[in-house]
Parts: sequence; C-alpha cells; structure tokens
Amino acid sequence: MARDPKTAEIVAEMVANVMRVVVAPGDRLEAGDTVVLLESMKMEIPVLVEAPGTVTAVKVGEGDVVQEGDVLVTLDL
Amino acid sequence: MTATAAAPAKPAKLPRDQDPRNPNFRLAALFDEGTLELITEDDGSGMLAAVGKVDGTHVVAFCSDATVMGGAMGEVGCKVVVHAYERALADQAPIIGLWHSGGARLAEGVLSLHAVGQIFHVMTQASGKVPQISVVLGPAAGGAAYGPALTDVVILGPEGRIFVTGPDVVRSVTGEDVDMLRLGGPEPHGRRSGVVHVLTDSEQEALDRARGLARLLGAQGTLDVGRVQDIDLAQMLPESKKRAYDVHPLVEAILDEGTTQELHARWAPNIVTALGRFGGRTVGVIANNPLRLGGCLDSLSAEKASRFVRMCDAFGIPLIVLVDVPGYLPGVGQEWDGVVRRGAKLLHAFSESVVPRVTLVTRKTYGGAYIAMNARSLGATKVFAWPGAEVAVMGAVAAIRVLHRRKLLEVAPDIRPQVEAELAAEHERIAGGVDKAVEIGVVDEVVEPSATRSALARAISDAGVVIRGVHGNIPL
Repeated sequence: MARDPKTAEIVAEMVANVMRVVVAPGDRLEAGDTVVLLESMKMEIPVLVEAPGTVTAVKVGEGDVVQEGDVLVTLDL
Repeated sequence: MTATAAAPAKPAKLPRDQDPRNPNFRLAALFDEGTLELITEDDGSGMLAAVGKVDGTHVVAFCSDATVMGGAMGEVGCKVVVHAYERALADQAPIIGLWHSGGARLAEGVLSLHAVGQIFHVMTQASGKVPQISVVLGPAAGGAAYGPALTDVVILGPEGRIFVTGPDVVRSVTGEDVDMLRLGGPEPHGRRSGVVHVLTDSEQEALDRARGLARLLGAQGTLDVGRVQDIDLAQMLPESKKRAYDVHPLVEAILDEGTTQELHARWAPNIVTALGRFGGRTVGVIANNPLRLGGCLDSLSAEKASRFVRMCDAFGIPLIVLVDVPGYLPGVGQEWDGVVRRGAKLLHAFSESVVPRVTLVTRKTYGGAYIAMNARSLGATKVFAWPGAEVAVMGAVAAIRVLHRRKLLEVAPDIRPQVEAELAAEHERIAGGVDKAVEIGVVDEVVEPSATRSALARAISDAGVVIRGVHGNIPL
C-alpha cells in the first residue's frame, strides 16, 4: 500500500462531468492551482492541487463522467 | 489497552533531567513563564499535574511522564488525572492534557484498567462544564487514545500517534503489516477518522495551539459592537453564481483579523468549523465550503458540524452560520453511510442550542440542507440573506422540470430551453426568490455584503445575555 511519496494522484471527490481540463503533461503547478473544472450539483467546481508539482499525466478528457475516487491527474512532487 | 501495545521507539536514553519528554519541561513550555505550580508529586506515577496561567488565564493541566515506562498509566497515575479534573471543576477552569503514553500498565492488571476507566468517567462528568483540550505529543495507545477522544478538542504534535492497538499487536493478531504513522498519525486522524481537530508541525506549535484554544474557550471576552468594522464581503465570492469557491477567506474576513482557529480543517472539508473573535468576543463559525463537494452537506460534514454546535452551546459561545448549500449529497453511498441518522444530529444540535445563533445566506440554500443550516424553523436568532440569494426547495429549473413535466414534453425540443427559462423566471418570482422568503418570515432581513459584519454584531448583541446549554459534549 505504501505509495511513492514523490508522486500524487488528484482524484474526483464526487460524481461529476469534466467541463474543462486546464493542465497538460509537463506543466509546473503551485499549491492552489486548478487542474480540472468539474460540473456537479449544477455548479462549476475547480479541483486544486495541495502541493507544488509537475503534471505527469492527464487521465480524463472534457465531457467525461467521473466517479468518486477516479484519478484526474497525476503529479511528480 | 495495554502498555505493550505501543512501546515507543527509544533512541539513546537520556537522564530524566535532560529528557525532553520530562513532564516538568512540557508543562513549563505550556504555561506562561514562572506561573507553573505543581498540584501533585513528581514521583514516577506516570502522570504529573499543575496549575498555571495561559496569557493570564488560569488553566489546569496534566502530562504523561514518558520517562517512566513509556508513560504507561497505573492506579496512582490515573488518580493524578482525576485530581486535576476535580481541581478544574472546582476552579471552573479549562483543562489541558498532554499525552504520551502506551496505555494502561500491564503489570497492574485489571487494577490499571479500572483506574483508566475512572479517568473516562471524570472526563465525561466534566464534559460541557469546563473546556477540555488534549495535546497528543507521542504515541497514545488504548486508554491514552480514548482519553483525548472524550475531550472537546484534540491537537496532534508531529510525533503524536493515536491507536487502540499498536503495530505489534495488529501484526500478531491479523498479520497486517503497518507502522505507527499509517496506523495513527496525522494523515489517518487529520483526514480520515476525524479523531484529531488540529495538526501541527512542532511540539511547541501544538502547545501554542492549546494555549490559543484555552483562551478562546475559557476567556471569551465581551462583544463590542462598535469595534466591528464593515468591509465589503462580496469580493470574497466569485462573480459567477455557479462557480464554486473556497469559503475560508470569507470566514476570516468576518472574524476579527488573525483570530481564526479552524477545527477539523482536513476532515469533512465541505463544511468549515472555526472559533475566533468577533468584536473581541469568542464566536463559532460554521460555513459550507463550495470548493469541496460543491458545499453539499453529507453524513460526515453534518456530524462534524453537530459536535461543533454542541460544544459552542455548552460553553456559551454564539454561532454565526454562513450558508451556501446546494443540498444534501445524493447517492447510495450516503444513504448506506447513514446520512439520515447523521444528518438528524445537525437538526437536533441546532434545535437544542440556546446560544445566539445567526444565519447568513450568501448565495443559495436548498431543500433539506436549507433547514439543517440553522433555518428560522430550527429557532435561529436571526436570519440574514444577501441580495439575490435563493431560498428554495431546489433550483428553479429543476423545480419547473418536475412541476411542468407534461407541458414540457409537449413542447418542440428546439424551443424547450426557452420555455424552461421563462417558466423558471416565473417560478423564481413567485416561489424561490429572497423577497418571498422575507415575505413569509423565514428570512428576517436582506443585508448588503458591505453592511453584514455590523448587522451580525447587532443581532448577537441584541440577543442579550448568553446562556449555556446544559448538556455534555459527547464526541459525536
């Protein structure tokens, strides 16, 4: 179960539609930057990163439906 | 619940007078310099108790002696804690426990379990009467885990670990291989279990947070309405009504500058619970946070808020409730998780509470969540709303789709959105707008964001003498 502490997975907290993907692999992010804009409960909900890192992969595309726990973006910290 | 559960890793053994785990040092670091006065003997019982000042406020404290048998608790050590509680109740003073203990002393057998149980009993007897704060500085296993869990606020130092049974027992019983950090460190208890209210980066920070909370809970001050300056709070929200945002800047702007002390920041983050000063007086703030889960209420956030409401009520702390809620989070996960049972706790907590509790609807409040967020019907002292706020059973478009389902089916698909918009506007005019809410009396007053702080202050002040709810603070 031990995860590599130098990587992070940004996951969806709830069922949602992916409205917009804001980042691409290679992007350098600061804590608080938005990676994806989700639509759920009739609201636009930005998903933010908690710690600085570099995007290694984007796992979703615009229009996708994501479930709670689905990985949106992976980062190298 | 035994000492073998969590033998803490020991580096080179230092003499007791140089050991940083010596309770004399820890208690001295907690109190104002030169104010510490021991009220029990420093005799190897495993516990030490004292009185002293925290920024001038009288506080009782006790501390595990981790230099003796890893802080394990026997009959005599437990009596030290009970004595400290009796003193706190007699003095009506906050009590702070500093924990670093493997639990009950194995060698004393059931006698030590009996003694630990007496700690639980006195803690529960004191619940809601005097503020109880726990600071977990090292491993706290078994009885030393449940002790803090019974108190109002649990603060975790960087080396703090809380668990019922330690890694060795887990391994021998279930074969699961897990270390203390993953079993009971900041990540599990700060984010997943909700056992810990406050995470810290150093032992001194943990003690300083305890000092700050002891002051907020134990020396609440008086509300000076004239001190509450109005600022334009509208700038704390995004322009688009559909856009989620982080509510923390709004909470911090409503409270006096630099006084916000958030509890349970990482657990159930879709609701924010914070203590702070408002016009110089301690208040509690509960706020939906749209950035997380859209600000929906769910089982965990309802439970978190319920416990906070009951704590504030027990200690006579007025509440400010900031509402921007799209509803309860729907789904099978929530229903199976007991959202009905746990959500009912919030209805109960607000309805029961006797402190002034003022609600402000900033953008919207829908359905069952509308009621749960301290609505007029639950006995709110005052309900304010910002201009344009929506108070409704559900959003207007969703509502007319239900109400006019047949009619909409008969409309050609290409003009359906236009018809929906017209129906929604009409519905909002007659049923959903803030004007209607004022008309029927569920909102008392529409207040501009630039006049909100003073309005909140007057509402709390006009409520008169703050009385305390007569009940304990069960760890819901």
